[in-house]
Amino acid sequence: MEKGNTKKGSTNRRKFLKIGLLSGATTVAGATLLANLASEEELQASGEKIRVLTPDGKMVEVDAESINNYPEAHITPAESRKGIPDRKFVMVIDLAKCKNARNCVESCQKAHNLDYNEEFMKIQLIQDHEEAEPYWFPKPCYHCDEPPCVTVCPTGATFKRDDGIVLIDNDRCIGCKFCITSCPYSARQFNWSHKPKFDDTSQPYSPETSVPGTEGTVMKCDFCPDMLRQGKLPYCASSCPMGVIYFGDKNEDMVTNGEETVRFSELINDRGGYRHLEHLGTKPNVYYLPAVNRQFPLERGFDVDEEIIERYKDVPFVQDLKDQGKI
Amino acid sequence: MDVDIRKRELVKEFSPMLLKSTKWSKIWIGILVGFILWGLAAFVIQVIKGHEVTGMRDNVVWGIYIINFIFFVCLSYSGAFISGILHFFKTPWKNSVSRIVEIITVVSLIIGPIFILLCIGRLDRLHYLFLYPRIQSPITWDIIAIITDLIGCFIYLYLTFIPDFAILRDNSEDVPKWRRKLYTFLAIGYRDTPTQRNRLHKITRIMSAMIIALAIVAYTVLAWIFSLTLQPGWNSTIFAPYFIVAGLYSGVGVIIIAMYLIRKYFKLDHYIRKVHFIGAGVILLVISLLFGYFTFSEYFSRWFSHKTHDANLLNTLFNRYFWEFIFANYIGVLVPIVILFFKKFRTIKSITFAAIIAVLGLWLNRYLIVVPTLETPYLPIQDTRPEFIHYSATWVEWALSFAGIAAFVLFFILIMRLVPIIPMSGIIDYEREGKGGTNSVTQHQLK
Amino acid sequence: MRTSFFTYSLSIVLLSLFLVSNTFAQEQDLSDYRMRFRFKSIKQPDQSRILEASFIAANKKDRKDRVPVYGADITFLNVLGEEQVSLGSSKTSKEGIAQITLPENQSYLMDPEGRINFRAVFKGTEELDGEEKEISIKDIHLDLGLIEKDSVRTVQINAHTIDSLGLQIPVVETDIIISVGGMLSKMVIEEGSIEDGTYEFEMPTDLPGDANGDIKVYAIIEDHDDYGDVVQKNMANWGVSKKSGQESENTLWSEAAPIWMYVVLTILLVGIWANFVYTGIHLFKIKKEGKELELKTEN
Repeated sequence: MEKGNTKKGSTNRRKFLKIGLLSGATTVAGATLLANLASEEELQASGEKIRVLTPDGKMVEVDAESINNYPEAHITPAESRKGIPDRKFVMVIDLAKCKNARNCVESCQKAHNLDYNEEFMKIQLIQDHEEAEPYWFPKPCYHCDEPPCVTVCPTGATFKRDDGIVLIDNDRCIGCKFCITSCPYSARQFNWSHKPKFDDTSQPYSPETSVPGTEGTVMKCDFCPDMLRQGKLPYCASSCPMGVIYFGDKNEDMVTNGEETVRFSELINDRGGYRHLEHLGTKPNVYYLPAVNRQFPLERGFDVDEEIIERYKDVPFVQDLKDQGKI
Repeated sequence: MDVDIRKRELVKEFSPMLLKSTKWSKIWIGILVGFILWGLAAFVIQVIKGHEVTGMRDNVVWGIYIINFIFFVCLSYSGAFISGILHFFKTPWKNSVSRIVEIITVVSLIIGPIFILLCIGRLDRLHYLFLYPRIQSPITWDIIAIITDLIGCFIYLYLTFIPDFAILRDNSEDVPKWRRKLYTFLAIGYRDTPTQRNRLHKITRIMSAMIIALAIVAYTVLAWIFSLTLQPGWNSTIFAPYFIVAGLYSGVGVIIIAMYLIRKYFKLDHYIRKVHFIGAGVILLVISLLFGYFTFSEYFSRWFSHKTHDANLLNTLFNRYFWEFIFANYIGVLVPIVILFFKKFRTIKSITFAAIIAVLGLWLNRYLIVVPTLETPYLPIQDTRPEFIHYSATWVEWALSFAGIAAFVLFFILIMRLVPIIPMSGIIDYEREGKGGTNSVTQHQLK
Repeated sequence: MRTSFFTYSLSIVLLSLFLVSNTFAQEQDLSDYRMRFRFKSIKQPDQSRILEASFIAANKKDRKDRVPVYGADITFLNVLGEEQVSLGSSKTSKEGIAQITLPENQSYLMDPEGRINFRAVFKGTEELDGEEKEISIKDIHLDLGLIEKDSVRTVQINAHTIDSLGLQIPVVETDIIISVGGMLSKMVIEEGSIEDGTYEFEMPTDLPGDANGDIKVYAIIEDHDDYGDVVQKNMANWGVSKKSGQESENTLWSEAAPIWMYVVLTILLVGIWANFVYTGIHLFKIKKEGKELELKTEN
């Protein structure tokens, strides 16, 4: 049932309406007719929704078009080992702009079908030393050039691609968890038990989407290669309201946060870009711009739900703030 | 022929151990089987519900399973190491302990790897290790090392059993038919002729040397699983030798405990004598000094240089794990040293007590190597779920751990049913070489 | 399995219930929304023209709450005085956007000044009021030249319109943005203003371009009163490819291990197994000797 429906959806997406008028103008239209809406909605209830207004004045929710959808091709586990040719992906995170809005976390969770506590992108509160005010520190997988996790994998289930991305093939993973212990950045997570969402076969598994998950295997941030293949930014970068996360191809020397595009080399050189725990020698592909001249006071980041604030209670600065009654 | 008579005497002496099963032994086996069944039930639950039933979570992904794994595997390596040395250097009093050591070696090498399997999320994909092997992974090295070592130990154990199988075959008139057939098969036509004896001695000697080498390699590879990562508490250059010493510490400890139990249970006071306990005790003393030295040097250098992440780890150890740390690294080392250092403290019971303290301390030492490190990663754990911040083993893990110990004891008892715990051929060889003299009195003659 | 299926279907049912209630709840406060109907023309590099209308309901109180109108029929017209020609119609997408593409050779109704008037019309339904928007565009010809002037790599932009007599009239005082294309976005390298029909600047020399060293350059006039949106592009092999050689050596993290690892492992394993085999051969010899001995005693 689900499968047939997906097929229908994809033909709809590709449907072109040709209207010959005057001297043959071509009309390209998002042509899914409203009549189909209701039934489609019921079937794909598990999918991502957006709210739209219909001409007859009703607000309805319909499926968003680009949530891990593969309109063109499905990238199999074998293909996903190769990488996108001639690319070298990098991410630059501007710590001065982050205010813990958590849009990156949430959009990533939606896209990868993760639960509330499963976060590929984590936002930590880091205090470098006693004198320094802490700063919000978004932490994805660093996609290291010399990845310790790949080194220790006994079956090659996790691998480094030519475009710099480190992926996990959860069809190959035996769940020994060695990669989790060897990652110094705690980027990896384990599927400790079976979840109903793993049974969702509406799209075939690809290491590039990390969906659906599998019990007893490891998962982590994948830099969204499925989006990159469509020429789109990873979910975290495109959803950030502050433009904190820049993403791009190092070979092109360009990174973008969706609003502005800048030279990667200039950004790093002019703003003192660094990599976290450089001394470990893992050569990450995620760079940070230091939290100088911050755009938001730290307290703005505590405007999230109680359980998330609880996470940061051990940071000394947070304890001070609490004592002062500021949060 | 003197030797044949002597063999018959020995078989007569030891056959009650092999054949008679008392009420108590049945109860004991029943209890052990109970523990194993409990463990099996826990295992089934873990398979059905997933690893969620364990205390392991994303930060502490390895728990007491891996600790038991290291413990048993190290026990085995140390058994192989000690047995190889006993044999290779023809240690005079080896007869009383060599078989205990050999059985410990093989049994713990069967039990140990089961614990690593319990850590694996997808047991159904285990064959991928051979389908898609990666030579760079220390896990691959470990698998190769364990399999090779297991085969080597089996061969070695078998070699030391052959002469006894032959003796049992030749003197098995009043045993069940299946047993005689089994002995005949296992003795592969060994007739104790000089050529056969020399041949067997030669290959056993080579194998004993091989076993020592294998044990060292396997120990090292096991230590590397930890020390080759970047984690603050693990990335240490001395881990390989440290694991060897720690393994020997637990190995000698378990051997002393086994000697005590066997001596008591089978009333082998004549074969396993105080002199053996004192000998083993002195070895335990030497190793405990070495172990203490390594432990001190490991933690002292971390404490002295106090890099941020090392300091965080020590902070965890000295706060959250204060008593465990005291027991593992102070009591577990110093108490055995004190007991074994002073001659007047060296009684069979006190030496056994020291061994128990050593073994428990060592298990905790392993716990402190694995768990606190995982609880103190480079980037601080910022989570609200208590089970993701701190590890505590669940009943499933404990059940399987105790099942492992029960299986260890059960296998030990079953092998003791097959061959005498004191190698008869060893006694014969010993007497043949004329070293016996007045010492070669047996219990039988004493009566 | 059965329970998981049950919870799954239950969650679907609950979700759809939630959706239904949502629909009803939202219907009430349509008056809180102001309808935004926008219309623009984009002239593309291949000289075709996109007419794009966006239809979005924006909450008067909550700036973030913007709901696209989905499936609204938009008709695009070319108007001159009383005369009007339908260019086509399209339904708005889930983003609230309706587009049609007009080819290069499209003929338009033009006023004497060379202006083309476009109109986008939404007829309206019982619930939504009709919307109408008109724009007036002059057809502009934008050329983007990437040339080497005295071995200086130069970007040269020429722009003109054509009046009713067919004369080329240079464009004046028009802001233009020049950017280079990347995989995910365009990067602005120059912003300037076209004076007297041309604009010229020196191309940065350190751009890497794509794998072949090709650089795509775009010249864009954005939202101009007279010309609407105009895009022109060109390409030149001016890139300084920085691509670091990604030779797949044998490393710890590659698929194949460093050679020495294979060598050492092979030596170790061969050594150990040779010994095992040696032991096996001797055991076999012992067995053979035992058999011979048995035969002797039997004889």
